[in-house]
Amino acid sequence: MNFDLDQEHLDLAAAARDFLSASASPAAARKALEGGTGVRPGRAELVKSGFATITVPEREGGGGGTVLDLAVVAEQAGRLLAGPSLVSFARAAVLLDGDTRLAGLAAGEVSVAIVDDSGPVLDAVGADTFLAPRDGALVCGPGTVTAREPIDPTRGLGDVALGETTVLVPDAAELWRRGERVGRTILAAEGLGAASRVLELGVEYAKQRHAFGRAIGSYQAVKHMLVDVYVEVEQLRSLVWWAAWAADHAPGELPLAAAAAKAAAATTLEHAAETVVQVHGGIGFTWEHDAHLYWRRSKVDRFLLGDDVAAYDEVARLAVAR
Amino acid sequence: MDFDDTAAEAAWRAEVRAFLEQHREELGARRDGKAAAQARQATLYDAGFVGVTWPVEAGGRGGTPMQQAIIDQETARLGLPALVNLIGIGMCGPTVIAHGSDDQKGRYLKRLLRADDVWCQLFSEPAAGSDLAGLRTRAVRDGDDWRVDGQKVWTTSAQLADYGILLTRTDPDVPKHRGLTMFVVDMHAPGVTVRPLRQMSGGADFNEVFFDDVVIPDTERLGAAGDGWRVALTTLMSERLSLGGGGTGIGPGIEAVARHVAEHLDALPPDRQVLARQDLGRAYVAALGSRYTGYRQLSKLSRGEFPGPEASAGKLAGTRTARDLADLAVRVLGDDARVATTRDGDGFWQELQAGLPGMAIAGGTDQVLRNIIGERVLGLPAEPRADKGVTFRESIAATERTGA
Repeated sequence: MNFDLDQEHLDLAAAARDFLSASASPAAARKALEGGTGVRPGRAELVKSGFATITVPEREGGGGGTVLDLAVVAEQAGRLLAGPSLVSFARAAVLLDGDTRLAGLAAGEVSVAIVDDSGPVLDAVGADTFLAPRDGALVCGPGTVTAREPIDPTRGLGDVALGETTVLVPDAAELWRRGERVGRTILAAEGLGAASRVLELGVEYAKQRHAFGRAIGSYQAVKHMLVDVYVEVEQLRSLVWWAAWAADHAPGELPLAAAAAKAAAATTLEHAAETVVQVHGGIGFTWEHDAHLYWRRSKVDRFLLGDDVAAYDEVARLAVAR
Repeated sequence: MDFDDTAAEAAWRAEVRAFLEQHREELGARRDGKAAAQARQATLYDAGFVGVTWPVEAGGRGGTPMQQAIIDQETARLGLPALVNLIGIGMCGPTVIAHGSDDQKGRYLKRLLRADDVWCQLFSEPAAGSDLAGLRTRAVRDGDDWRVDGQKVWTTSAQLADYGILLTRTDPDVPKHRGLTMFVVDMHAPGVTVRPLRQMSGGADFNEVFFDDVVIPDTERLGAAGDGWRVALTTLMSERLSLGGGGTGIGPGIEAVARHVAEHLDALPPDRQVLARQDLGRAYVAALGSRYTGYRQLSKLSRGEFPGPEASAGKLAGTRTARDLADLAVRVLGDDARVATTRDGDGFWQELQAGLPGMAIAGGTDQVLRNIIGERVLGLPAEPRADKGVTFRESIAATERTGA
């Protein structure tokens, strides 16, 4: 049994953190929220770095890596509230397998967003090529994007009016579901990063902040709240690794693992962000503090790729059918 | 990353599995009584599957914690009952190994592994539970002996035990952690009285134990006089090592709950089905989170590392999940959930439900576990202690003044 990251993954995480932290940060997310800038590092830089296209085969100009590799990077992206989401790249790599557009994606010539439904679409802002399901087929085409007022601007949500589409894969139901499941895995990995980072903020503050003559983290009322988040975050880490491993090695386990990771990420990030706002007291719900940027991420992500209720329901349906 | 056994682990698993399956009937027989339970453990010991991590000279095999984890997994897979001397193997024996004399080791250890003698751990008291170092059972030196008076409580298996490790106060005039001494006590000695306590579930697994002028020879001391806290920490660390599996061994298995829910789901009204699936989904995700976090700990064992204080999270999470699963399992019984057995005469889930609140207390309360994780994993400061820097006698006097 070796259910742990190896040295290569730790090195990959460090490299991703170095690259992402040069431009992405909660401060950058706040600036985007104020309308000053786009998301950081942004699509072009993310593609140029090679991190976004890790799961694209080498022959198409990608990294030829595993879903677990991408999940390791996505955790770092989540910590820094980086955008656009690696979810969109992960799904595009699945859906465009064998299509010439995949090389275009890796070369930075094509900007892809995935249209699940009629609602606002993740990373639609700045995208020029849209993939969507239609009557069991996978279609692709241009579209017109209307950006929506963001809760979390790093998610680039906008309404998409599809233009003329072409059918890429006629019978794409299974392919579409795999793309969703890989996407859920990467979404959960980003949620893991965000949750573990916001927990760190809470723990650091609980050590520094004194009230009634001692650090507030010494009070069990505060300590136990943070511990409950820690326990959830570590369970989420285990589920993210399992889902990523399943995506790479055990397709039969992926439906349950991806649904579990998605559900746990939604619940855990929300719990973490709300706890850490509370631990900070007054400063915790100011615009200038970073806590609300993670809180915003949690309030949006729980509704991406199906909401938490749908994911828990799917877990239960799979469990009773086993 | 993989979930596979190494070649050596796979070979060991095959050996364990072959033996357990061959002796399944004998080992799985749920006959009551001490003798039957002792016979089951002796069969396993004689085959080499008890105490594998113990040193060879202590009667063990000098094996790895991973080998023990594989035995635990295979035992759970077949649903075999737990060993009668689980506490002896997990806690008492390791304490004797670390702090006992050669004479004690020779007399006790192998017999403990074979369950020729059953052991218990005499730590908690009516006035000292989570605050174990506040215990009051007195041991007073009397020539070559010690005389013990006091009371222990929540002592699992004391009704079966032949020996126990007993933590006593030998010096009340130093701070509380420094005045303790550990002994091996003969549970059949004059003055030892065991009274079973009935739990809220109706079962009686634990006891009150009274000591009335019980004589213990000084040769039965474990570690130096006054060094009992350090000796007790050995016991408690061993307890952590003996609890693997990330808390997934607590309560019902998730697959069993899912099968049970599947059987009852269609009988529920549609809106109740939706709610039942939400409950199942949440508990199932939590249980999977515990299971795969347990695999991370097993991976550490497999590499030869030991679990740290983060392992406490397994029990904390496992207890919560077990309660949620049991609650759901009872709820889907419908009207029958109001009574202790269903119309078919099945009381399994109701009985399970009554056993789980105790799990959040036994072996470290949820609140103590949160303190351990908060302080030793997250690095948060400890609560100030009102009894710090004063002798035990002074702290007792202060408690009595405030009427607490």
